[in-house]
Amino acid sequence: MSFQRFIRNEVLPLGWCPGCGLHSLFFATCEVLDELGQNNTVVVSGIGCTARGAGFFNLDSVHGIHGRAIPLAVGVKAVNPELNVLVFSGEGDLTGIGGNHLLHAARRDDNVVVVCNNNEVFAMTGGQTSPTTRIGGKTLTAPSGNVMQPINIQGIITSNKRFFYARSSPVFKDHLKECLKQAFEYDGFAFIEIVFPCIENYSKKMDQSLACVMKDLKGKYKICNENRMLNDDEIGIFRSE
Amino acid sequence: MKKLLSGNEAIVEGALVAGLGFFSAYPITPASDIMQGIVKKQEKVRFIQAEDEIAAVNMCVGASLAGAKVMTATSGPGFSLKQETIGLAFKLPTPLVIVNSQRVGPSTGMPTLGSQGDILQSKSGSHGDYVNIVLYPNSVEECFRYTIEALNAAEESLSPVILLSDGMLSHTYETVDLDSVKYSIKNRMRKPLGEEKRHFTGLLSKNDRPQTKDSQVYRDWYNERKKEVLDVANRYNFYEYMENKKADTLLIAFGYTSRVILPLKNKYSIFRPIRMFPVIKELKEIAKKYSKIIVVEMNDGQYRHELEAFLKRDIYSVTQLGGKISLKEIEDELSKIYSE
Repeated sequence: MSFQRFIRNEVLPLGWCPGCGLHSLFFATCEVLDELGQNNTVVVSGIGCTARGAGFFNLDSVHGIHGRAIPLAVGVKAVNPELNVLVFSGEGDLTGIGGNHLLHAARRDDNVVVVCNNNEVFAMTGGQTSPTTRIGGKTLTAPSGNVMQPINIQGIITSNKRFFYARSSPVFKDHLKECLKQAFEYDGFAFIEIVFPCIENYSKKMDQSLACVMKDLKGKYKICNENRMLNDDEIGIFRSE
Repeated sequence: MKKLLSGNEAIVEGALVAGLGFFSAYPITPASDIMQGIVKKQEKVRFIQAEDEIAAVNMCVGASLAGAKVMTATSGPGFSLKQETIGLAFKLPTPLVIVNSQRVGPSTGMPTLGSQGDILQSKSGSHGDYVNIVLYPNSVEECFRYTIEALNAAEESLSPVILLSDGMLSHTYETVDLDSVKYSIKNRMRKPLGEEKRHFTGLLSKNDRPQTKDSQVYRDWYNERKKEVLDVANRYNFYEYMENKKADTLLIAFGYTSRVILPLKNKYSIFRPIRMFPVIKELKEIAKKYSKIIVVEMNDGQYRHELEAFLKRDIYSVTQLGGKISLKEIEDELSKIYSE
């Protein structure tokens, strides 16, 4: 259990809601860090439930301001390229308020790993519509169901010449770990989208319990082993080389 | 060796001497030529042209935590966008220098005539309570010198420092001998990001655990942080006082304006703050000697407003708005004050 050395004891017990996918995401990340022996990793985050994760790791970490995790991470990497720089934030932070940074870091192929926890809402603020809320998804700001198209993150990332895009979920732990490993070893901008809808401030509004959410995720997603654009019901890795 | 340099070019020279390690910015007149100057020095400074103003300053924060001395340069519209990150740098804490070459606002205003409209914003533009050091040179040589001091003060206080300029000063060319300027260089004691297992956060923390609702922890943290910055500020006590024994009026001006009113020193005493904030304490004693105090500034009385609170007395204001400054106009305004 040497992965536990990557967990900061002071943050226990953890503050996320029971059943939230973030627990599994962060524990899986610790396991990968341990397996790869990446002690010189710096975690950078923005604002939101996921972004609190920076303080979870027993590593040098920076918890910055809303939407600006990517440029902060790029600054760290620019000064010390030896460091593995890992960004954790939610889709509201990375594709909403920080969308411009995502666009340009992907274009510049900045050598950082970005893990985006896509829970389909602004969870920490109570559950407002986010850029990835599905059509029909009920939120505080779309109580009758969202009518706008969700953002196509895969499309944005893979529109560049060089790219690394992975989609996974904590309910597929081995797959998630494989995505993290490949991302850590990738030389360039690596983006991982983690799919796990918010339980407390989203799924419950649609009468879905934790068990329903996990069952849906297990049932909906198939693992794609080919290197190509992923369909909406697939998890996998699509990279340019 | 003597050189012909602009204010902005001297800022680049000063930053290099001080050991700048990282620079990021977004194009904006009248500050862009600082970035263009840095581009030619990439063997010494890691440079990234950022996708926007907010990215530029956040890249600087990351680079600063990673151990580099950092600086960004902008003008009013960009300075507004960077405000949230000033609070972050104060909270984390980490050294950060932002150059603001002021132009006429609000909004796009009169691009890109010089102005002094961002005085208050340079002190408290970010949300919440914080204190920061603001320096404002008035010559090309001073642009060099006070860029070094700004980077030093940032290192010593582990805090954001604002270096003000204005459109006029940024593009004023003067012959300067930078070798004759005396300075020392301050370096950071804190280890850069690596394997130290520290958590830098904008959240209030208690015993390394983010703890957001304990007022006493906040008060203790804030008082200590404020004291750290003010203690450092005391060592950067820069001002110029030109006393005229016959004068009963003290004129206060800074940046380019202080140069324009220089011929008035035969009639008035002149005080020029170089460290704009925290306000120079010596001004309290100096002010007592004068029956009238008049602040001359290219804004609608921003520093006057601050000094009224600081000195607890009425202060007159001569304002030069709309990007135009004229000694004749200033003299006319001064005579109006006397004929009141």
